[in-house]
Amino acid sequence: MKNIRRHLISLVGLLGASQLLLNVLAAQEESLAFTQLDHATLEHFENYCFDCHDAEVKKGNLDLTQLLTQGDKDLTLVFENLITSRMPPAKKEQPDPEERNAMLDWLAKSQVEYSPASYRRISRHEFVQSANDLLDVHLDLTGSISEDRGTYDFDTDRRVQVTREMLNSYFSALDEMLEFAFPAQGFVPEKTWITNQIKDSHETYKIYTRPYLEGILFSWTRSNNGNNYSFFYDNFDPPVKGWYELSFDAMKLGDFPEDVSLMVFAGKYFHADDRPQPQRLLDVISLGNKTLQTHTIQAFLHPGENVSVHCYSRHNFRQRDGDTGAYIQQLKARGPVLDSWPPSAYQKIFAGTPLSAPLRQGPLTSISVNSTCEDHLREVLRRFAEQAFSSELTDAELEPYENLAVHILREQGDFVAATRVGLKAILSSHRFLMAPGEHSNSSFADAAFLSRALWLSVPDQELMDLAKVNQLKGQTLEAQIDRMLSDKKTERMIHSFCNQWLNLRKFKKITPSLKLYPLYDDLLNRFLPMETEAYLNHLIQENLPVSLLIDSDFSFLNQRLAQHYGIEGVVGQQLRKVSFDSKTPRGGLMTMGSILKVTTDGFDTSPILRGAWISKNIAGNTLSPPPESVKAIEPEHGEEATSLRAQIERHKNSPSCYACHKSIDPYGFAFESFDATGQWRSRYKVKLPHAGTFQYRLEGYFRLGAEVDASGEIDSQAFGDVFGLKRILLSDHKKIAYNFVRKFFEYANGYKPSLRQRLDLIALIPNEPDECRMRDLVIQTLIYSLNEEKQ
Amino acid sequence: MRNISRKEFLKIGAALPLALQSLDAQAAKSPQPKHPPKRIIFICSCLGFYAPYFFPKAGKDLSSSDYLKGMKSLEKMTVFSNLFHPGMETSNHDSEKSFLTGAPRPESSTFVNGISLDQVLAREMGGDTRFPFLNFSIYDRGWGISWNDRGSAIPPMHDEERIFEMLFGEEDLKAKKLQLKNDRNILDCLRRDLEALRRQGATPGKLDSFKVVIHELETQLEREMFWLQARKPKVEYSLSNDREFAFSSKIQNLFELAKLAFRTDSTRVITFSMDWIDGAIKVPGVTGGWHNLSHHGGAPDKISQLSKIEIETLRQFNRFLTELDQIQEDGGTLLDHTTVVMGSNFGDSSNHTCNNLPIIVAGGGYRHQGNIQNDQPTPLCNLYLELLHHHGIDASGFGSSQKNMGLL
Repeated sequence: MKNIRRHLISLVGLLGASQLLLNVLAAQEESLAFTQLDHATLEHFENYCFDCHDAEVKKGNLDLTQLLTQGDKDLTLVFENLITSRMPPAKKEQPDPEERNAMLDWLAKSQVEYSPASYRRISRHEFVQSANDLLDVHLDLTGSISEDRGTYDFDTDRRVQVTREMLNSYFSALDEMLEFAFPAQGFVPEKTWITNQIKDSHETYKIYTRPYLEGILFSWTRSNNGNNYSFFYDNFDPPVKGWYELSFDAMKLGDFPEDVSLMVFAGKYFHADDRPQPQRLLDVISLGNKTLQTHTIQAFLHPGENVSVHCYSRHNFRQRDGDTGAYIQQLKARGPVLDSWPPSAYQKIFAGTPLSAPLRQGPLTSISVNSTCEDHLREVLRRFAEQAFSSELTDAELEPYENLAVHILREQGDFVAATRVGLKAILSSHRFLMAPGEHSNSSFADAAFLSRALWLSVPDQELMDLAKVNQLKGQTLEAQIDRMLSDKKTERMIHSFCNQWLNLRKFKKITPSLKLYPLYDDLLNRFLPMETEAYLNHLIQENLPVSLLIDSDFSFLNQRLAQHYGIEGVVGQQLRKVSFDSKTPRGGLMTMGSILKVTTDGFDTSPILRGAWISKNIAGNTLSPPPESVKAIEPEHGEEATSLRAQIERHKNSPSCYACHKSIDPYGFAFESFDATGQWRSRYKVKLPHAGTFQYRLEGYFRLGAEVDASGEIDSQAFGDVFGLKRILLSDHKKIAYNFVRKFFEYANGYKPSLRQRLDLIALIPNEPDECRMRDLVIQTLIYSLNEEKQ
Repeated sequence: MRNISRKEFLKIGAALPLALQSLDAQAAKSPQPKHPPKRIIFICSCLGFYAPYFFPKAGKDLSSSDYLKGMKSLEKMTVFSNLFHPGMETSNHDSEKSFLTGAPRPESSTFVNGISLDQVLAREMGGDTRFPFLNFSIYDRGWGISWNDRGSAIPPMHDEERIFEMLFGEEDLKAKKLQLKNDRNILDCLRRDLEALRRQGATPGKLDSFKVVIHELETQLEREMFWLQARKPKVEYSLSNDREFAFSSKIQNLFELAKLAFRTDSTRVITFSMDWIDGAIKVPGVTGGWHNLSHHGGAPDKISQLSKIEIETLRQFNRFLTELDQIQEDGGTLLDHTTVVMGSNFGDSSNHTCNNLPIIVAGGGYRHQGNIQNDQPTPLCNLYLELLHHHGIDASGFGSSQKNMGLL
């Protein structure tokens, strides 16, 4: 009671300032409603918040009476804490839903709305995918364009401006793509190579392979420094860059249940001594067959690269003269393979014009268009530009591009060369690179938005046809989004969204220490992120409840992942749905190896860094940045695990630390049960010193230290381990869903939703956990975004 | 349309014919132009340096610094204490964005960066060389310490082979010429389309930002066209390919490329962002997560491990300085004509604070005087302003600068 007067005083101050705010907002129509809202809502803040957050107590260094009266302050944190029920704290009196909504409404209206730019540039991923689809080629040039998201998390961020450097790298990428699709000198013939020879290696590496029957037996795996040595096939040098079909006649040797993994790489040949060069892992063939079979993969190869193989099985780790492993009788390579003749790029781009494609023989075969007809050229450009710009184009709109190409046609007399320049201009145009573009009707605008969000690309024919008659609305719109989600191209969205939301783009940059994690290998590096993508895709495709983001009794595993997770009976490297028993600490995103690894540096786990990341990105808590001048420490594990915990627990003693760390540390503790590769552990590893050159060994260089204590407390609910943590999180499906739609909105739109938009987004979430489903949320968020885009 | 931009280009690049003459002269006789040009390079090690080991302990004497003692070029080096950028109190790692711009509050969601110092210098010093500036980073993060006049990150190059190829690789001149011609036609076409859209009343902000980009790329193409007349310099391939110490070899190579670019007068302005990489790195004596170790919290063994990484980066830095100092030019060495600024956005990365930034200025022919200790926290931009003045730019201020303090 003694506080009432003080509060009343601040309340009066608050009202006065709100009056000022009102004047500012007077021009806006809702100002009348705002005044009425005011008094009642402020009472709610008074009742539920000011006890701790006024000028005197200022808990967590937050004085709400001051913050709420300042017009230009950022209220996002207050809003997020309120909307996710982090505040008021569980043990305090809670506002009822209506009161809470009134408070949220007030905050959303008081926030000075940050207005993002009305347009954005497309990302390099969208650029490459769209250009591929438009030209009907498959050439991944993303790596030759600089990372372009600036300093932000999402590739689409609207704060990133187009720069000269970006346009310049698009120019180079387009040159390469257009030359690949329509090579000026023509196509080389397709050839076949058959080889059972591997290139020369150092004497000491002869133990890995030996001649066997008509081919080679690969048996010894992993070398002294822990690297996987791969062996290069001789007598096959790709003459040009392109797609090649690689067929291995191979079989497994050995009496063990698991498949042998045949890893196929491409890279520059090096004489294997002890420094392996970086190579690209093309694919993994799972060898389970005990009689010869042909295993075929498709690979994109560059001249100067060779194909190499490494055959891995833990059953023949350093088996001198062993008779287990992989027998490869021969490699048959064929290519460069074209999808048809003439290639579909020609058939698509030059449809309706007479093509001359002589038989593909002789050193180079050119395909030409037998026309110098400017009307033909115009048609080619129009068809391409309408899809690229997602719009019908008037003659006047097409004119700059048409003039350019016609000029080249007149100058050089070569229809294909003229087309190439025209297409390059279209794909360098702001109408293609900046979104939204200029669209001839709203259906085209929506089609462009949806194909960018779900396919990272341009509309397909069905969308174009609907847009032409402006029918992409209502029921049709929803049905089309549904159709698009079922299209295989949606896997691009899954991949891209996982890279951005879950930071999987960093996954391969973190290399675990082989001394601590001797079993970590390239197979895990390949399959761990694939598990996450397959899982998220499944949740969306099957429209499963959003709670499965946190926990479930299944995931998508193969032999290697199952070994990593300690699950028996999974044979073969194809990912498939695998069910978990109730004792398995997996299921859901947070306990996937990919997430657990990407939140470490490959050596130690940091409960604070990992905890903060998972809390923020998956559990959906909003955290403020760490304060200045606090002695920051990354605690060390090992034998002093108790002191580590004690150090972190000190946060509890300081209210201003604990305000944030209560939403960080418990997550960190719960996931201490998982090491830096995502494997389950009950005790920490203490690294042992080793002298001289690192000799790889399966048991690593460590001994076991202190026991892991994974217990903690969230909102006064104690948990003993990660199972308990998940149970607490599962109790609030709305928070899980809200976090997901907020991230997906930002992914699709390139900006964080405003507080008003967050209220709209949370209104899309069903109250019943079982009705709150992934595909529905994706569709509803997209439809909402389309409507917002039109505002 | 194109004529106007050419005219504008000539205005900017008026000194280009001079550069060509000097190239001819170089081919004819003298190994270097008569008056060696001034060059400048900025290096930012974005996790800073452990201050007790970095700063000299005894007055002005640089050899009292654990890190610097034993470096060969100490008499051509000045260390500054107590420099800072105002407005970085809660910036954390975001402070890296402002290292060369001095723009406050880089952590804000509405932050727009300013132009970076190297870009201001490149406008003045970049006209006579094939490349107006170069910028490097350790990996493909897409941003470093160079920011353009609209506050957009200029993506640094990180692939040594590609940089080498760009600087010294031979080109198919005929094909390149045709391509540049086509590309200029494309830019003309895009500009015409922009104008048509403007007449139709499309969003002006969007069109304007693209128009600027078209104009800038056009200027670049003109420059490339111009430089087709001169052959690229030939140098011997000297990059390291050490896979065991990949991190060291990366830093060594980027310094090597900077040296080669300066020596061949391919550019006069370079930035090098030593951005921390995720995961563990391996240097002689330690393998560990750089970022993780930087949060040492005062633990002696962590500091010892961290210092091995910092010693390694400074060893490469020392090698760079020494090699520049071994290249003779008229009136001194290449180092005497190159201002080398090495520093960090963090004063103490363990605590994420941005006070007392570690800053070294080496070379440049200045009157070096060991350690300059400012009594009061002094804006780093004061030093930046001074560097602008030293390079013939009569600016009244830069970033948070108060005045040119005549430090050097």
